[in-house]
Amino acid sequence: MFHKRLLASGAIAALLIGSMPLRAETPADTLIQAWSIDDIITLDPAEIFEFTASEIAGNSYETLIGYDPKNVSDIFGKAAESWTISEDGKTISFTMREGRSFASGNPITAEDAVFSLVRAVKLDKSPAFILTQFGLNADNVDEMVVQTGPMTFDFKMDQAYAPTLVLYCLTATVAMVVDKKLVMEHEANGDFGYEWLKTNYAGSGPFTIRDWRANEVVVLERNPNYSGEAAPMARAIYRHIPETATQRLLLEKGDIDIARNLAAEDIKALEGNADIRIDSGVKGSIYYLGMNQKNEFLGKPEVRQAMKYLVDYQTIADTIMAGKVKVHQAFLPEGFLGALNDNPFSLNVEKAKELLAEAGVPDGFTVTMDTRNTPEITAMGQAIQQTMAEAGITLELIPGDGQQTLTKYRARNHDIYIGRWGPDYQDPHTNADTFARNPDNADDAASKPLAWRNAWDIPEMTKAADAAVLESDPDKRAEMYLALQKESQETSPFVIMFQEIEVLGMRNNVEGFIVGPSFNDNSFAHVTK
Amino acid sequence: MSTREWLLSEQPASRRQARLGQGYRTWLAFRGNWLAMVGLGIVLALIVIAALADVLAPYNPVTGGDLNTQRLLPPLSPGHLLGTDDLARDILSRLIHGTRLTLMVVALVALIATPIGLLVGTTAGYFGGWVDTVLMRLTDIVLAFPRLILALAFVAALGPGIENAIIAIAITSWPPYARLARAETLTIRNSDFIAATRLQGASSLRIIWKHIVPLCMSSVIIRVTLDMAGIILTAAGVGFLGLGAQPPQPEWGAMIAGGRRFLLDQWWVATMPGLAIFVVSLGFNLLGDGLRDVLDPKGRK
Repeated sequence: MFHKRLLASGAIAALLIGSMPLRAETPADTLIQAWSIDDIITLDPAEIFEFTASEIAGNSYETLIGYDPKNVSDIFGKAAESWTISEDGKTISFTMREGRSFASGNPITAEDAVFSLVRAVKLDKSPAFILTQFGLNADNVDEMVVQTGPMTFDFKMDQAYAPTLVLYCLTATVAMVVDKKLVMEHEANGDFGYEWLKTNYAGSGPFTIRDWRANEVVVLERNPNYSGEAAPMARAIYRHIPETATQRLLLEKGDIDIARNLAAEDIKALEGNADIRIDSGVKGSIYYLGMNQKNEFLGKPEVRQAMKYLVDYQTIADTIMAGKVKVHQAFLPEGFLGALNDNPFSLNVEKAKELLAEAGVPDGFTVTMDTRNTPEITAMGQAIQQTMAEAGITLELIPGDGQQTLTKYRARNHDIYIGRWGPDYQDPHTNADTFARNPDNADDAASKPLAWRNAWDIPEMTKAADAAVLESDPDKRAEMYLALQKESQETSPFVIMFQEIEVLGMRNNVEGFIVGPSFNDNSFAHVTK
Repeated sequence: MSTREWLLSEQPASRRQARLGQGYRTWLAFRGNWLAMVGLGIVLALIVIAALADVLAPYNPVTGGDLNTQRLLPPLSPGHLLGTDDLARDILSRLIHGTRLTLMVVALVALIATPIGLLVGTTAGYFGGWVDTVLMRLTDIVLAFPRLILALAFVAALGPGIENAIIAIAITSWPPYARLARAETLTIRNSDFIAATRLQGASSLRIIWKHIVPLCMSSVIIRVTLDMAGIILTAAGVGFLGLGAQPPQPEWGAMIAGGRRFLLDQWWVATMPGLAIFVVSLGFNLLGDGLRDVLDPKGRK
């Protein structure tokens, strides 16, 4: 008995040793990605507002309409086949595509599309404002989104908004089409299946969500009933690996196909590796400083401009954030309609000192900056602290976790806040709405955009931004946004610094991953390896 | 008569001479233990470095150099003996300034926790009965929690920061001293000299403070010194988890946390503060061991 066991363990040991030189390899029909997926709180498209969950929804649900991730102005139908806009510009009539079905086998009809939109408005979760900004609310949505035939429905609005704005909003995750029949089977207490859909799946995309275990794994499987071209991969798995260095090691060893959270240093180190390719895509998020106008120094226009000359944009983009950001100084990210791509500011201590002297504070002053304690934000904050010191401005960093700093920012109790802002949909209004609109600067205002958070009172700009929403000619509209951004660069309390670049490290055999401008555009439906 | 002979005299002429002679003998015994001397050397060096940090550190610990050219330089680079970190800050300068934080944590924790422990322990041991039961059960409750976890819970409740980390560590480190002091008190509370003092009309407070506490001190000091290493590690652990000293303060644990991202390619960023923690912890442990050998009456031959 003893000998047998000894022999067996010896054999196992021999096997282990024998297999050591072999490289671990992922299965040929499975795509394995390492990503920090701790931000997922739900899988319900009506509530999804997180990066990771957006991407998962983007690959497992379908929107009514979509755009080409390489050229976002090319809008086309997905679940919907076509649409027409009424004379008065207040109604859009959609016709659904025939012969498509959900993963459950149920056909996709106008009834599902209407249900999905009504459901999102009535549930009223964080992303619901993308739809409710068109004058929809829980009480009137049944009259505003109406089915007119088995495959047709009308979407009505309270004003004639720019058509592109409405269409882009309908490409957001909140407007994804869910399987009415399946969801309503799981309804409890009139919740539109909300409790069930949080952890389940009722979509029609190239993949189905089989399993989500919080902070562990998300498993997607090829959708056998997908109406488009079937995905080459039978499975796509996200593993929760929070440490960037661990992701890099797994990638180097071949235990994963794609690493999603590589740090600047990892990217540099992997560049020389023949088995690994670095792919990147410009994302819509921008990094900026918000200066509270309630502060006696920051409220001066010359000081605001001086601060814009006291950030060493290029050096930060080349060193601590190498490969992860590009310098961008307007509130609309590159790729958006009307985005301004000039970068007029660079580190210029002399110029800043002149401006400070004009403002009557030639010797500088002391302000605090609320800094989220993530490595990247902290490092940027410290780099900015150093360049500001050159002009005599003492910047005290107040570190805190995301919740602490954001709460303080939202209550506008900060001096300076260093933050990251991600657009909610692909239309320029998403950022103009927050950076260039402040309808009410009172402390108890109903809407609290970023301009409000920094107590920047701009009645004129608000009007200009409101006018841009209603302009139906795209060229004129683009010009209006360009003007807003130029004005913002000259006067705003926002030091807009960088646009984010998403970086993926992937094994050389992985082909066909599409990195889109927002996370729900990241697609692995056509990935082969 | 030389000073040495005067100190070692078998017939001290005064109380002062006896006391000094006792101290000198202890020192001689301590000096004979070379490991303890190494420990003492490390601790003294720590204190000197902390006091002279501004003079010794070649660079400012908080502001870095040129990000384009001076980031992540390896050790022994010209001008940067231990290299630089990701913000082009000199690691040696940060370590030197970090000694202040480390020393502050250790000293404040010792100053807060030791009196609490002594008070609770001696009171419980002296009065006995229900006072003893209540105080010791309280001690048991605190002792039942793992120290780091309890410290983390306190820091999470109080908010991150070095002061809160100190309070949290102090709150969690007094129970061992209380137990020790109680055990010592129990052995002496029925001695004749205590009874004599009581007969003279001394109050309980006076007896505890003047007669019991001094007798407990030596064992508590040994225990505190031996615990110093643990305190440093706990402080570094709290700092590592982002709940202790906040950036840009050069706290060693936080420095390791910051350097962890570069461990694969730039090992020195995390390794240097790790070595510093290791050396200082070792120093306190060696010192504590040496002190126990000379101060613990039971350990003496």
